[in-house]
Amino acid sequence: MSNKIIRTAELDPNFKFEVTAHESARDLNYCFACGSCSAGCPIHEVFPDYNPRKLAKMIKLGLRKEVLSSDYIWYCATCRTCEQRCPQKVSFFNVLNVLKNIAAKEGYAPTAWVEQTKQVMQTGIVFPIEETCVKKREQLSLPSLKGEGKKAKKLIETTGLDEIESRG
Amino acid sequence: MSKYALFLGCTTPIKVPQYELSARWVSKRLGIELVDIEDFVCCGFNQGNLSIEGGLLLAAMNLAFAEAQDLDIVTLCAACNGFLAETVAELKDEATRDRINKKLSLIDLEYNGRTKVKHISRVIYEDVGLDRIEKAVKRDLSKLRVAPHYGCHYLKPKSAFEGFDEPDNPKTLHHLISATGAAPIQYETLLHCCGGKTFPVSPDIAHLLIEKKLNNLQTMGIDAMIVQCQTCYLMYEGQQQKVAEKFNTQYKIPVLLYPQLLGLAMGGDPATDLGFDLNTMPLDKVLAKVEE
Repeated sequence: MSNKIIRTAELDPNFKFEVTAHESARDLNYCFACGSCSAGCPIHEVFPDYNPRKLAKMIKLGLRKEVLSSDYIWYCATCRTCEQRCPQKVSFFNVLNVLKNIAAKEGYAPTAWVEQTKQVMQTGIVFPIEETCVKKREQLSLPSLKGEGKKAKKLIETTGLDEIESRG
Repeated sequence: MSKYALFLGCTTPIKVPQYELSARWVSKRLGIELVDIEDFVCCGFNQGNLSIEGGLLLAAMNLAFAEAQDLDIVTLCAACNGFLAETVAELKDEATRDRINKKLSLIDLEYNGRTKVKHISRVIYEDVGLDRIEKAVKRDLSKLRVAPHYGCHYLKPKSAFEGFDEPDNPKTLHHLISATGAAPIQYETLLHCCGGKTFPVSPDIAHLLIEKKLNNLQTMGIDAMIVQCQTCYLMYEGQQQKVAEKFNTQYKIPVLLYPQLLGLAMGGDPATDLGFDLNTMPLDKVLAKVEE
């Protein structure tokens, strides 16, 4: 996210409404930009450019493309410290999930997450079940894994999640 | 005797079977019956990145499988714990539950809000209790000084855990460690996240996070870190040498899963019962401090 001049003509004033229309992001309306989210964020601590408060401000300003195309929204460690510390009870974790969902539909999803979904539709879990793993589990007398993703696939297909493509 | 459906999650059975092995071993000896449900799938937490509804459906599907057998769920993974427990709370809303059940009916399932979710450490803490753990101890671990690492989703979101422990100042893993005889420390980066969910997108940023904690612990003179989630384990142990090379330093901090430590105290065979030889970091210095 660069610190260039913001041109109001390029802003999308509806973006904040698009985001807060999602129930889990509605509370973003209550944010008064105190920065408790950023103060508690472990990613912000080691990588200061990643800044939840700044992202919240960008949503409110309407920097739609900058936010949705940014790698940053995918850096969240999902530790949920931001929502735990927020005096206004905004879950920035939930806001980020909404941003990621919108970004994914527009073709910005990272390959790693798209591949995981494909795998879940095959084996039911995010990994293939390889022969070495099967043998190791036998050696340890652990039960065998079913590795069946058909039912998960059926549910996933009702959401459009199966159609999301990675940005490559 | 308590009875739960064991939710293995994706990563533990494939990459960290020593967690599963040791959890099964201690559970059996502490009167926790674990039932395997082979239909369980991914908890849905990561799928929520791309589709909140998709994640919710997978979580509800798992809850429904357990409910069909009248069982509560026990998880090993902290993230499965947080996400499934949050879903239980979310599905208390009737309109949401109806919407989800309509889709679950496609695969002949239904969730009515009976099945609850707890992490294995919480089950040990609440169902077994510290007194019974202390009575089950057969080896002296008092020379071990260890650093607890809670894992973010063990206690968050707070609203899903009915007042169990306190995410900003957690104590239960400290107590669980003390009950084994080992000494848990307090340290500055206690609440730091392992970066497991950042890693697939940016290994560099995840490494910065891991380094922060290992660097802090390096100065604390500990014998091991104790974690209660396989992702935290893979980050702090599996990435440890890469982080050391990257930051031009040396780290040799063994990482144990809590049931491995508890099982060690309870007299389990480190290799065959608790899978110590599956940990990549040598554990001989830990074992040398333990007395029969």
